[in-house]
Amino acid sequence: MAIDSYKYVDFATRQIMKAWAARQEPGVIPFTPLAKPLRECTVALLSTAGIARNDDVPFDQEGERRDPWWGDPTFRKIPLGTTEKDIRIYHLHIDPKFGETDLDVVLPMRRLAELASQGVVGRPARMHYSTMGYILEPTELVEKTAPAIAASMRDESVDAVVLVPV
Amino acid sequence: MPDLTRRVGVPRLAGISYPLSRPLGRPHDPDGQRAVLRATLEVLEQATRPDHYVELPFVWPETAAQARNASKDEPPSPIAALLLKEPWLIPKLYSGHIPA
Repeated sequence: MAIDSYKYVDFATRQIMKAWAARQEPGVIPFTPLAKPLRECTVALLSTAGIARNDDVPFDQEGERRDPWWGDPTFRKIPLGTTEKDIRIYHLHIDPKFGETDLDVVLPMRRLAELASQGVVGRPARMHYSTMGYILEPTELVEKTAPAIAASMRDESVDAVVLVPV
Repeated sequence: MPDLTRRVGVPRLAGISYPLSRPLGRPHDPDGQRAVLRATLEVLEQATRPDHYVELPFVWPETAAQARNASKDEPPSPIAALLLKEPWLIPKLYSGHIPA
């Protein structure tokens, strides 16, 4: 691996993240081959930036401030066409100003629509998704949130998903 | 952080050496963002087996110090603030024994 994953974080964060990565065992990695050419696929996006629409419930930051070991493991739906004017970013481990200035830096829905109009992908899904990426204890994320997101994508005939870890 | 993402066990991974908080690139740089998304989507089509890992060739236009400095006014996260105050809790993080 030539990329230094920790290039942009401070020394203490680097040490902690490296130790965290080292103890994580991937186990059996699932793989589903792409069923059709990319130019025919409906593509959805899932960002870990903690994006919620202003007419939706924010991610729970007070809960994390009370218990710093906890992170909100729920998800929010972000319909295609949502812009930075319609959202806020609720994530205490990233700098929200970049995504709140231009949502495409964390959830590139406009770029995906452009690639669809260029014929690179078939079409953007009608619905995209966000979780909040700081979750040390992932049981609820794995057992409830991820299956609920997958079910919603299946209902919308999504063929492929780009995960955007922020 | 491709290192960490790879350890989670995603089927296909496109690594990029961009700072936290802006994985697609700089705000208001649609051409740059589109190039990153397109290169990422191409990985989806190339991969034939799990743990397929590609490093994208994009170069961030600032030094690491400049990129960090852009977020210098962000307060430390609650866990970072706690561990600074109570560093003896750090082994809990390393061991994965997260206090309930």
